[in-house]
Order: sequence, then C-alpha cells, then structure tokens
Amino acid sequence: MKNFLKIKHSTLIAITISIVFCLSCKGENETDILKIGLAEEPRTLNVWLASDANSKKILSQIYQPLYMSEPATQKLIPWLAKEHPVYNPETISYTVTLRKAKWSDGTDLTSKDVVFTANIIKDFRVPLFASKWDFVKKVEIIDKQTVRFYLTKPMAIFLTRTLTGPVVQKKEWEKIVQIAKKKEKPLKTLLNHKIEKPVGSGPFVLKEWRKGSYLYLKKNTYFFGEGIIISGFKLGPFLDAIIFKIFGTSDVAILALKKGTIDMFWKGIQPGYLADLQQNSDIRIFFSEKSALYFMGFNLRKPPFNDINLRRAAAAVIDRNFIVSRILQNYGTKLFSIVPLENKFWCCQDVDHYCESHPRDKRILLAYKTLRNAGYTWKISPVDLDGNIVEGKGIRTPNGKPMERFTILTPPADYDPHRAMSGMIIQEWFRDLGIPAYSRPMSFGSLLQTVKTKHNFEAFILGYGKLSLDPDYVRIFFHSKNDKPRGWNMSGYRNPCFDRLADQSKTTIDPNQRKKLLFKMQKMISRDLPYIPLYTPKLIEAVRKGKFTGWVEMQNGIGNIWSFCMLKPDHHTKKSF
Amino acid sequence: MVTNTSDSMAGALDMLPKKRQKISAFNEKWLIFKENFIGRAGLILLSLFALMALLSFIPPLIDPMYHPMTGVDPKISCSVGPSIHHWLGTDFIGRDILSQLLAGAKIAFMVGISSAFISIVLGTSIGMIAGYFGRYIDAILMRLADIIMVMPTLLVVLIFSSLFGQLNIWTIVLVIALFRWPGVSRVIRAQTLTLKQRPFIEAAKLAGASPIRIILRHIMPNVLPLSLLYMTFRVSSAIIIEAALAFLGFGDPSSVSWGMMLQWVWKTGHMFQAPYWLLPPGICISLITLSFYMVGRAMDEVLDPRLRKEDD
Repeated sequence: MKNFLKIKHSTLIAITISIVFCLSCKGENETDILKIGLAEEPRTLNVWLASDANSKKILSQIYQPLYMSEPATQKLIPWLAKEHPVYNPETISYTVTLRKAKWSDGTDLTSKDVVFTANIIKDFRVPLFASKWDFVKKVEIIDKQTVRFYLTKPMAIFLTRTLTGPVVQKKEWEKIVQIAKKKEKPLKTLLNHKIEKPVGSGPFVLKEWRKGSYLYLKKNTYFFGEGIIISGFKLGPFLDAIIFKIFGTSDVAILALKKGTIDMFWKGIQPGYLADLQQNSDIRIFFSEKSALYFMGFNLRKPPFNDINLRRAAAAVIDRNFIVSRILQNYGTKLFSIVPLENKFWCCQDVDHYCESHPRDKRILLAYKTLRNAGYTWKISPVDLDGNIVEGKGIRTPNGKPMERFTILTPPADYDPHRAMSGMIIQEWFRDLGIPAYSRPMSFGSLLQTVKTKHNFEAFILGYGKLSLDPDYVRIFFHSKNDKPRGWNMSGYRNPCFDRLADQSKTTIDPNQRKKLLFKMQKMISRDLPYIPLYTPKLIEAVRKGKFTGWVEMQNGIGNIWSFCMLKPDHHTKKSF
Repeated sequence: MVTNTSDSMAGALDMLPKKRQKISAFNEKWLIFKENFIGRAGLILLSLFALMALLSFIPPLIDPMYHPMTGVDPKISCSVGPSIHHWLGTDFIGRDILSQLLAGAKIAFMVGISSAFISIVLGTSIGMIAGYFGRYIDAILMRLADIIMVMPTLLVVLIFSSLFGQLNIWTIVLVIALFRWPGVSRVIRAQTLTLKQRPFIEAAKLAGASPIRIILRHIMPNVLPLSLLYMTFRVSSAIIIEAALAFLGFGDPSSVSWGMMLQWVWKTGHMFQAPYWLLPPGICISLITLSFYMVGRAMDEVLDPRLRKEDD
C-alpha cells in the first residue's frame, strides 16, 4: 500500500512538473511570437502578381533579392549575393557571386534559381518587373554560385532596380512555368496561379493563412543570414514566428495595440491618434522619412489643362504651406520637385517654387495676371478695379468659350484622408479664381483605371508612397513612349527634349553626369507642370514597448527586413546581458 | 360613453361654407395635434433644426474663417476644444465645428425633404394609378414596387457610388427617392381601392368624368393626408441614408453634412480624442430623425381617430 502511495505520489509530482514545464514552454513560445496588425488582407502570395502593399509586406519576409539597401545610408549592399557585382565594360556584363544559402525546404539556392527567375521575367514579360529587365540580353550560369548578366548597353538602373528584385526557387516554379507556356495565355496563367505555401529564402516561411483573420509565419531555420554580420548587424531572426492579424480599420488596430493584442501596427498612423498614443507609456512612436511623392497631375491631352498658363495659375494658387501645416498637421514636407527632398543626392532644389511664401490674395492676383495675359476673361473678375480680391465667376478660355466644369479626382477619405482633403481645398482655391473645379473622391481602383488606362480625366491627386532611391522614375513618369493605356506617363506629357535627356540618363553610369541630366529633367517638369508636386508625408508608426527590442529605423519606416531579422524578445535581451 | 370627435364635428362642418369648412377642419386637426405631447415635442425640435438651417448663412458673414468648408482660423491649425471664438471647437485643420453643424442642418433638411417629397409624389401617383386602373397595370406596377422594395437602399447607393464615382448631393437625393416610393405606393393603392368603391366615385364616372379627373379631383384629396404622413417617415430615413453614405465616404465631398463631419472625425483619428467634434453631428442626426418621427406619429393620431387616447 505504501509503495502504491509512493508511486501515486511520484506520478502526481511528475504530472505536475510536466504540466508546469509545458505551460512555461508555451509561455516562452508565446512571448517569442511577434504580432503585427495589418490594415487589409494581402491580395495574393504569387510574387509575380503582388502589387498591393500588404502582399508585398508578407512576401518581403519570404522572397529575397540579391542586393538590398542598408538602413543608415540607403546604399546597396550584397544580400543573397556575396559581394558587389563585378562589371566588365568590354562585354557589358556583371558577374554576381552568391552566398551559400538554402531555400526554406532545405535545398540549395544556386545560380540556376537566379537564371530561372530572370528567364521567367523575360519570357513572360511579367508586368511588374519587365521594364527593369528589358535591357538584359542574357543571364548565364558560370558555376553553382556564380551568375553573369549581359546587358544590351550600360544601364544606370541595373544595380538599383534589376538586382533588387526577388529570386524564386526553380524547383517550385518549373512545373507551373511549363504548364503556363502551353496555355493560350501564358502570362495570365502564371499570374493567376495560386501559391499557398511559397518556398523562400527569407527569415520566415508561411505556415498558415486563415483568410480574413491572420497569417502565421514561422522562423525559417535555413535562413542564410542567421548568425552572420551584414552591414554591422548580426542577423537573427530571434523570433519564433510572426502573426499578421488583419484589421478592417485603423481604429480597431490601434485599440488592439493599446490593449497589447498586437505588438505593432504596420501602417502609417494619422496624426489625430498621436496625442492619445503618446500618453500611453506602453507605446513607442517612430517618425520616419518617406521616399514619397504626392502630387496633382493634369491631363495634357485635352482642354482645359493642355494650356500651360492654366497649369501655372493652378500652381500659383496651391498653397503647400496650408496643406503641410494643416492637412498633414506638420507631419510632412513641402515638395517642389518630382524627386523628394529626402533623396538629397538626386533632388534638384533649384526649381520654380510658384509663390511659396505669398499670402492668399497675392497668389490669386498672380494667378489672375497669368490667366489674363494668356487671354482668359471673366464675367466677374476675381480682382476688381481697385485691386481687391472678390469671388471670380464665369471664366472664359482664350477662344471665348466658357470654361467647362472639370473634376479633380482623388482617392476616397477612407483610403487617404490627406489626399481627399487636399482635393477639396484645391477645388475651393480654384473657385476663388472663378475656375469651375469639382473635387471627386473615387475608389482607388477606379481612379487608377480612369487615369492610367482610360485617360478620361482632367486633373487628379495621387501619390507614390515608396519611391526607389534611384530617380529613374522621373524618366518613366514623363517619357512620351510611356504615354499609352496603362503607361506610367499618365499626364500625356510629350517633350522631345525631355525624352532625349531621359534616354541619356538611363544609360549614363557616372552618378555625377547622371545627376546633371536629372536636374535638367526636374527643371523641365517644374517649368511645364504636367504634375505639381505637393508634399511628402512623414511616416508615423507605433509599437508596444517592453516585449520586443531592436527595431531598425530607416527611410520608409521600421517595417523592414532588418527589423524582423534584429528584433529580440525582451527576455532574450535580458538573458544575453 | 365614447364619442367620435371627428364624426360629430363633421356634421356641424357640413353646415358651413366650403372655404370655412377647410379652415375649421384644419383648426380642428391642429387642436388635436397640439394636444399630443409627442407631436409638440417633435415640432419644437424640428423648429430648432429649421432655425439652425436658417442661421447657417450667418457665420460666414461674420468672418470668412467661419465658412464651413474653406474657412480656417489663422491661429489654430489643429483640432481644439470649445472656446469663445469657436463654441464647439475646431476640426483638424482649424475649421469651426459650429458653422459646419449649422451647414449640416441645411443639408439634412434639403436631402430629407427633397427626397421624401420626390418619393411621396412617385409613390402616391403610382399607388393611385395602380389602385384605380387595376388589372395588368396594377400587377406591373406592384411587382415593380415589390422588386424595388426588397432592394436595400443603402447598399444599392453604395454600389452606384463605387460604379460611378462620388455622387453629388442631388444625385444622392434622387437615388434615395427612387428607392423609397414602393412603401407609400402600396398604402396609397390600398386606400384607392377602398375609395374606388365609394358612391361619389361611381357618381363621377356616371357623370362622364375621365379617369385622370377622377384620380386628381376625387381620389387624390382623400389620399393626400396619408401621403403627407408617410412623408415625415421618409424624411427620417432619407437623412439617415445620406448620413450613412457620407460617413462611409460616399457622400458629396463639396457639401458639409453631418455624416461628412463624422467621417472626418473618424478618418483623421480623432474619434476618441475629440468628443466636441464627434458628438454634435451624431446627436443632431439622432434628434432630427426622432423629431420627424415624433411629428409623424402625432399626425398619424390626427388622421386615424382609432389611435387617439380615449378621454373620460
């Protein structure tokens, strides 16, 4: 009986210990899981189709590029590549050596995968990447770890745009590509292919995606970077997993952040939330520069904005001080050139500032003079005989016809309140001049289709939230060859001089030479005004304190691969000290 | 013993000339309305909102900074609470909330009354035509009414908005009106069906009156009070639909409505930070719809003696 009791006792103790152990293990695991709030569900995990921000956020943890920007200087540094590419001017080729890396299924990442990726983009002309690979003649395997890219001509954007794209696994995509090639519409088949468990080389790998609820990414035990030092960072990941929770609105996500349900909300926060969040001692706020361009664009293909005088008058009445100080609540900077001010090397500051420091009356007066000199007339002039500003009415174009009402298309307030509000205020500034402008927020998809595909618009307000450091977009946005349905030249700007400079800038490798060309291009745009640059907003992000440390701040925010490779649970940090 | 006031007075009224009869009938109904507490309260509330709508023209005359859309206080560039210059505070760019609230009352009346009026005109006309002519005309019109009635108005307007971009305030008014007439038409049809059997209609037919004349001269005057009653309820629903549309970001961006105010307080992240901005438009939407409902209930009692309280 005694023995039986002893056994019973020891069993009970063993069970208790194992329960306590299990519970403690569970607790430790839970603290090593980073919970991130996303504003919307990712649309796809097919890397060739993913163009929305949320899909890119997830895929950036999985697929990796050869080169990447380092946090402090934004300079390009080797990532999957072992070292900087070796250029051979005679053959116009770049040789890239790869690091020893593995895919998340344990197989080796080799030069075959890089060549296969390049061939997919070139063979299918994948829209998201094709323009960055047009000038790549062929890609050759030198050995298992070495690959050589042959270009048709020297290209400035090859390093910054081409080699920063994701590399996919040949084993995963080979069959899909073969099937797609046999179909009537190969590209459509490739893009529509559903990827459920992408095989990547990044720090995390997708474990589960419960639609409408969450995505669960586990640590990739084969991640090439673990334990090695790149750009002064000894990489992890030190997290067991990341859970991305989907929230419909910012309000709910911010409440979850305040409650501690999530550790980070991966979306820019409106300044209105700041006062409340700053009072919360558990929340840490990050303010980051954004490489972004928010602008007003015009349709130069048709009246009324095919007239440069009207565009200049518009530039005169737009008050950037008002937009930045009031609509952005001072969390942003005024923009005068197409290249944001934050991009110090490439931004030309010597462009026209169009009445930057003038008060409202003087702006209206200058705009009025510009229009009057160009032959515009009014029923009631916005400037009376005594020079006072009054409400202008009945504006007529130089051909004597009344100006027809036009719309300023903006995204809706729930997509971006800043742009919607800017549209509304600009509409009122135009009306001060008697110009019949009507702001019209419309869903983002319809807006893009109207502006980019149908070209059936007069003016619009849009933005590029994540411009690359390389300013090649100046060429892309305004080159006349891109004035086509779905082309990037949405304004329909056509200037042979600009095209010539743009073509030169594309092939000029020397940064200083290229800078001169780009400065000329920026001045030309500032003079002709197909776009009026408005502002660059600051990125405000919030995380919870105390659970994780090691956020890496860089341009475009703390939501970057460096952060996810460097974040450590707080107990982990304490232990290591 | 319970006496039916309207019946007993009707006999006395027959003795009076026609014009005086009408005035007396109105006075009698007004007396009944006045005695109704809900009606009185609703009317007072409604008068307050009407006053707000009338006063909305004044602030921009005092100072351009009180213009509800473009006026900003030069000294304030963020949302601040009530002060001497801004009794209800300012929004995130320094616009006066009180001016916006007053302008919102104007929009609420405009949207509510116009769309209710259009839907009542449509509903009454269709109901009378369907009820009077019967047969296949009735069948077609009533099936159409059924189809429209089962469509959720807000959802349909949202789909329209996403298809055609932002709708202006008058398009919103029209769309709401086009989706709110079936309820009225059903009631008016039923009323027309009972009226059609009455001797005075038979007499008019025998006298050679055309159907249009019978509808306009004999049926319409008898169904109009019912239409007006339904109009008060339609006003409430139109105001709520417009506010919901604006709140969801599908309102007219060039007008300052209460729904639009709520949208801005939400989208700019001031929902929990600025109660002085959030509460006034919310309370106004609730109270104005309540006031129309209260007036409607009271009118219902005026028109239907069975609903009145029995006095000893």
